[in-house]
Amino acid sequence: MILFEPFHLPFMARALVELVVLGALAGTVGVLVLLRRLAFVSDTLTHTVFPGVVIGHLMAGDGGIFWGALAAGVVTAVLLTLLTQRRRVSEDAALAMLLTTLFAVGVVLVSRQTGFTSDLTAFLFGRVLTVTEAQLAQTAVVTVVVVALLAVLRRPLLLRAFDPEGAQAAGVRVGLLDLVLNIAVALVVVAAVKAVGTVLVIALLIVPAAAARSLSDRLAVIVPLACLVGAAAGWLGLVVSYEASVGYGVRLASGATVVLVLVAMYGLAHAAGFVRRKAGLSRARRRSVLEAA
Amino acid sequence: MSERAPTLVLDRASVAYGDVPVLEELDGVVHEGEAVALIGPNGAGKSTLIKALLGLVPVVRGRIEVLGRPPAQARRDVAYVPQADTLDPDFPVSVEQVVMMGRYRRIGWLRRPSAADRAEVADALERVGLAGRARDRFGTLSGGQRQRVLLARAIAAKPRMLLLDEPFNGVDAVSQHALLEAIGSLKAQGASVVVSTHDLAIAHLACDEVCLLNRHQFGFGPTGDVLTPERLRATYGGHALELRGDRVIVTQT
Repeated sequence: MILFEPFHLPFMARALVELVVLGALAGTVGVLVLLRRLAFVSDTLTHTVFPGVVIGHLMAGDGGIFWGALAAGVVTAVLLTLLTQRRRVSEDAALAMLLTTLFAVGVVLVSRQTGFTSDLTAFLFGRVLTVTEAQLAQTAVVTVVVVALLAVLRRPLLLRAFDPEGAQAAGVRVGLLDLVLNIAVALVVVAAVKAVGTVLVIALLIVPAAAARSLSDRLAVIVPLACLVGAAAGWLGLVVSYEASVGYGVRLASGATVVLVLVAMYGLAHAAGFVRRKAGLSRARRRSVLEAA
Repeated sequence: MSERAPTLVLDRASVAYGDVPVLEELDGVVHEGEAVALIGPNGAGKSTLIKALLGLVPVVRGRIEVLGRPPAQARRDVAYVPQADTLDPDFPVSVEQVVMMGRYRRIGWLRRPSAADRAEVADALERVGLAGRARDRFGTLSGGQRQRVLLARAIAAKPRMLLLDEPFNGVDAVSQHALLEAIGSLKAQGASVVVSTHDLAIAHLACDEVCLLNRHQFGFGPTGDVLTPERLRATYGGHALELRGDRVIVTQT
């Protein structure tokens, strides 16, 4: 069967595990990003991790990528938390400046390398078919850490997202909580570098959560659904890109294919959500007519 | 009233954001089971005083004591009710989930809500007249109903002091009645209530005491004594209009 057959190849099996785990992780974290309206902050993080990736690679080769990304991710998570606490600065402008500056630093550094174009492409868009077992282990560790963090802090995170003033009044340390969420997003970006690159990961964070949100109003449904959509898109995207290149001789970049599959799934979810809301409305109308009678 | 324990003490207190003083020289005492209305024009510092009572804005001179403690240390027993229209109506939470947030402090981070927690949530919703709406999404309720849900969240926290920021703004008559009833029953159980409002009639109805504010304090004491035309004119500047000698309307809030 076409959905399973490609994964007899060991490199395809590794790519599958990486993308499915990553899709599920990003989908989960993405729900919080969506609720807190942090899409732009997250996008900034994806770009600022890039110079870390380059520096890590320059210093220690492929093995240094993860640690470089991790260092850059944590540093920018702290910077972003401080920046977004002070509401007086025009936050958008400051974020845009940070994003482009650090991105440019990354490009300048990588352009001094001999394999410039090939390295740049790999860092920006990922190369999931060359994922190693060590990198799979890194992704697994990041997943466990982030999911555990979110599970433990789910109540304060929810309260802070819904009602920041109420959270403060209830004694929640909002600044610290914001830092934790930014670090969680940074960790997802770090984990995603190899598979989809630093640029495309934002889609992995936002799209599954947005798709799940349009299908349900209940968090208890939205979170697992986003997780599922992310994982399914990883799988399907990989199958599509494999089939296209093996079956039809069309080479499709797997990371980008995953993103396009995600967007297609979002389109379907949005349409289904539209129908659901229409149906819900007419149900409510019938109910109110019945009650009136 | 004097045999009741004081729950809020303002002693020549000044409150400031950084170097900018917002409220100066506040004096007054509120006891168990009493409600005080904070009345003053927009920008008078009513919300700032509420934040100071939560320990979120510093007292720079004088002293504020909440339940015998500095404000930041009293939060456990204080519940805050924000204005409902400051919250995102698209947020995917149910009415029940919002009220359960009032129990978070008792539940902690990991434990599942117990039967007792659920009973408190159901009881709080009952007290604001929304028992039938528990499973509905918060954003599908009317503005007044959302305000009642937020009050239910505060009730579920079992506070000894309740702080409400403009709870009657844009609220329909049914919800206003339900809010007043619920506040009255909390008072009867011994909780103190601090409520900021523009509505003088509500201050008369619901509150024993009034604090007139506009950067400074223009009066603090029993409602009937403080809500006089002279004092209101002083508080609101030229925007208070006298009707038939004993009634006052405020022309600009």
